[in-house]
Amino acid sequence: MKAAPSSTHFFGIREDDQYSHQTTPQLQPSASVPTPSSSAVASQSSAPPKKKRNLPGNPNPDAEVIALSPKSLLATNRFICEVCNKGFQREQNLQLHRRGHNLPWKLKQKNPNEVRRRVYLCPEPTCVHHDPSRALGDLTGIKKHYCRKHGEKKWKCDKCSKRYAVQSDWKAHSKICGTREYRCDCGTLFSRRDSFITHRAFCDALAQESARLPTGMSTIGGHLYANRGINLGLPQLNSQLSSLQDQPHPSTDLLRLRGSSGSGAAQYDHLNATSFRPSPMLNSSPFFLGGNEDPQLLQSKPFHGMMQLQDLETNTNNASSSAAAAAAAANLFNFGFFPNNGSNGGNNNNNHHHHHHQSGHLLGPNQYANVGGGGNTEPMSLFSGDLISNHADTNMSSLYNPSVHPESVMPQMSATALLQKAAQMGATSSGGSGSGSLLRGFSGPSYSGGGGRHANFRSGGGGGGGGGENESHYQDIMNSFANGSGGVFASVNEQVSAFGGFNHGLQLQEMEEEKLQRNLSFGGSDRLTRDFLGVGSMVRSMVGGVPQREQHLGMDMGSVDHSEMKSAGSSSRSFGGGRLQ
Amino acid sequence: MAPFVGNVAQDDGSSSVTSSPLKTFSLMSLSPPAPYSPWLRELKSDERGLCLIHLLLNCANHVAAGSLDRANAFLEQIALLAAPDGDAMQRIASHFTEALARRALRLWPGLYHALDSARAVVLPLAEAAAARRHFLDLCPFLRLSYIVTNQAIMEAMEGEKVVHIVDLNASDPTQWIPLLQWLRARPDGPPHLKITGIHEHRELLNHTAVRLTEEAERLDIPFQFNAVVSKLDNLDVESLRVKTGEALAISSVLQLHSLLATNEGAAGDARKAQRAAPSSQLSLGEFLDKDHAANGHSPSTDSALSSSPVATSSPARMESLLASLWGLSPKVMVVTEQESNHNGAALNERFVEALFYYASLFDCLDSTVPRQSVERLRLEKMLFGEEIKNIIACEGWERKERHEKLERWAQRLDAAGFGMVPLSYYGLLQARRLLQSFGCEGYKVKEESGCFMMCWQDRPLFSVSAWRCKQYD
Repeated sequence: MKAAPSSTHFFGIREDDQYSHQTTPQLQPSASVPTPSSSAVASQSSAPPKKKRNLPGNPNPDAEVIALSPKSLLATNRFICEVCNKGFQREQNLQLHRRGHNLPWKLKQKNPNEVRRRVYLCPEPTCVHHDPSRALGDLTGIKKHYCRKHGEKKWKCDKCSKRYAVQSDWKAHSKICGTREYRCDCGTLFSRRDSFITHRAFCDALAQESARLPTGMSTIGGHLYANRGINLGLPQLNSQLSSLQDQPHPSTDLLRLRGSSGSGAAQYDHLNATSFRPSPMLNSSPFFLGGNEDPQLLQSKPFHGMMQLQDLETNTNNASSSAAAAAAAANLFNFGFFPNNGSNGGNNNNNHHHHHHQSGHLLGPNQYANVGGGGNTEPMSLFSGDLISNHADTNMSSLYNPSVHPESVMPQMSATALLQKAAQMGATSSGGSGSGSLLRGFSGPSYSGGGGRHANFRSGGGGGGGGGENESHYQDIMNSFANGSGGVFASVNEQVSAFGGFNHGLQLQEMEEEKLQRNLSFGGSDRLTRDFLGVGSMVRSMVGGVPQREQHLGMDMGSVDHSEMKSAGSSSRSFGGGRLQ
Repeated sequence: MAPFVGNVAQDDGSSSVTSSPLKTFSLMSLSPPAPYSPWLRELKSDERGLCLIHLLLNCANHVAAGSLDRANAFLEQIALLAAPDGDAMQRIASHFTEALARRALRLWPGLYHALDSARAVVLPLAEAAAARRHFLDLCPFLRLSYIVTNQAIMEAMEGEKVVHIVDLNASDPTQWIPLLQWLRARPDGPPHLKITGIHEHRELLNHTAVRLTEEAERLDIPFQFNAVVSKLDNLDVESLRVKTGEALAISSVLQLHSLLATNEGAAGDARKAQRAAPSSQLSLGEFLDKDHAANGHSPSTDSALSSSPVATSSPARMESLLASLWGLSPKVMVVTEQESNHNGAALNERFVEALFYYASLFDCLDSTVPRQSVERLRLEKMLFGEEIKNIIACEGWERKERHEKLERWAQRLDAAGFGMVPLSYYGLLQARRLLQSFGCEGYKVKEESGCFMMCWQDRPLFSVSAWRCKQYD
């Protein structure tokens, strides 16, 4: 029946450690509210004790606030007899002592009329009791507080080695130490059953927690890793690039690229680490492109947007030409909605151009325009993460967590909202109108994949096979997020029309084949329209996508040889045909 | 020395400066230091979330397909973004990847069992109990279930002089203490009350017994606790010692689904035996088979999507338990279950369902409990995380978390001879009042044809329904 933080009562004090930064500020205001002029004590006793227990230091507002120095707080015997130098803790005791020396003495009479009380501040600036509104009501209290919390624990129990800062605590402990004890498996001894039980609830967890902390670190490790990946990746990519330039057959290079990425996850890492680079990188220039002084590369540099979009082509090439790893790579590249692929896509693309003696200039603008015509006014920003978040902001504001994280400045999307958004992205795109629609960002690569394929067609580099791989990519990105078939279908058509928009002599025949393939492969999805969360289509994409890719993979095994890549479109078409079954 | 008590609590507060490594870490993972990784830092929470969803789905794909190399590559990617103490999606991702990794690991039974047996020792009962306790404290669902169940029992037991309650999971006395108080406040006086608690761990049962006996003594109610140390799936109904003349109520809170476990993925078990021989080839093929099968299934209708091959008839264990409970002719049986379909045959199906379901659960924690809360971490890890692992990584008998939606429970219970008892409006009021006192907007209780749905935002997460033996006349 309690709000979450109040579970404190069950878990005991330890928990306060966790909640402290939270609860204290919450409690503080209520504590600092000045109690009405009647005495604080009265109000304290009349209030529910449970609430007040957490609010020590609730001083009467008109009490006299006294700040003592640490020295005077730690001084055990502040009141010194000038005759024998004996120290006393209390002035009254000194006065009584003075009587023995026949010195003049005077016991202070407590004046019952003098209601003026004193409260004491803790001299430790970081302590909550440093604030006058939280001052403690008695001198002994503040002394003990200061010793316990800010002082040295100089009293050690001989039996259990537990240390105390306040002698009386130590004495109290010494009396009962060993009389009843509870030993936790972790070796800690408890004399009190309740603290033992509290500890037990936490002990295992703490052990796990501390074991887990390094994994908390892992994000950092991850950064390092990723970073290293990038650094490692750089020379590798460069060497690959240069080899691309040197060799007449790009497919081999592609193969090599794939092969290496297939060979180890580290390789994936560097690829993706690079590919994760946010849009600014692309807008300037991907470092490896910039680093590579090849004129060909430089030439195509202005068309980053295009190259980025062309990444699908990469997959296309791979699919038709290269080995099993291609599919994996294609999948990795499915980060389509992040600026990623520009790098690899760019590479291969360039390489591709090179091979086919097709200048980036020629191909670039057309595609560029085409993609723009598809509803993306800003192809560059398409892939920038900003789009995603902007979109999120506009569309999903209602799904934001009403959340409790004061530390996060921006409202944060709940996981549910994210999932729904992911599912929705397919739906919104199906309309084909919203330029801000995220799926557009998603489908962008597919469009351009089409464009890339177009280049492929011309080169005879296996259009059908490419289409197939592209399609699985398509499925991965779109379908996994797509809502119903409506959406998927529509975008298929859209894509086809996007093809149609190409001036580059796209062969109708192949287009038809594309269409056919797509329709077939997506045919199942249209029955899921009712599944409004898109769960079904996600499932479907998973269910459907996998075997297809596997199948494809199996087929591609045979076509490792790069020369296949060069083989006529007909053979690649037969790939496509095979996939239909 | 009243201030002293206060001092202790207070000073813990002051020590927060030093005692929050967790917080530091969670902050770190949210905004990693600049020199390390620009891309990670620049991913906003939403982007990261979307990215994680995407990666998870792809990864699940590969795990389901048995292509471990690729799954591994995705797992690595996810590991860079997920964090058990990050935002909700990061947390979810970290648990789902662990589940996926376990699943993947099963393709090497040797590795899997080696790790698993070590883990079984490490996993202490107290931890699980503590996690359940956190669930009780951090989310209102269990308490809602308790209060609704109790209300239904109170109504069914009106005027009864001898009341016997069978609790299918008596790990915790929390549910019954308010009931004792209610019974005591009955206008016609408290009944003779017997509670039979079933649990596989004697310690927990004893704890429950002691606590309830104390409370009954305090309230001066004639009370008897009957502890039955048993798992639910081999429960001997005789041991419940239900006698004639007792008015019987049965309470099941998140228990029944475990009885849906069958050997059926098993396909699975027979194959597992084969898999013991190093033939990952086979398992890959078999995964594909499964996917194809599911592929053929899912498009047909919505409900087919949720139900795969599980026929309307219940698995044997479920059937026999329901039959024997029916044989006791309870006046009321109140069932709380997870409102989700985590019992699909295909991994992909379960994965996506679970992703949505646990996203909601993690969201409610995210909106009510601070990120660095140890309790929250433990709850997520030890309860939700374990469930997720079970759903994703296990098959056959081992897969116990076979949550199903109320619709299917209704069919099942109906087939077993139970008729639904609509829950009362008063119960709904009580549930809502409890929610009000919990003080978080997102939780809701909805009435749906006589049953209650406990929701986060608009998504039902748990169902409560009441049943009794059908009258045949």
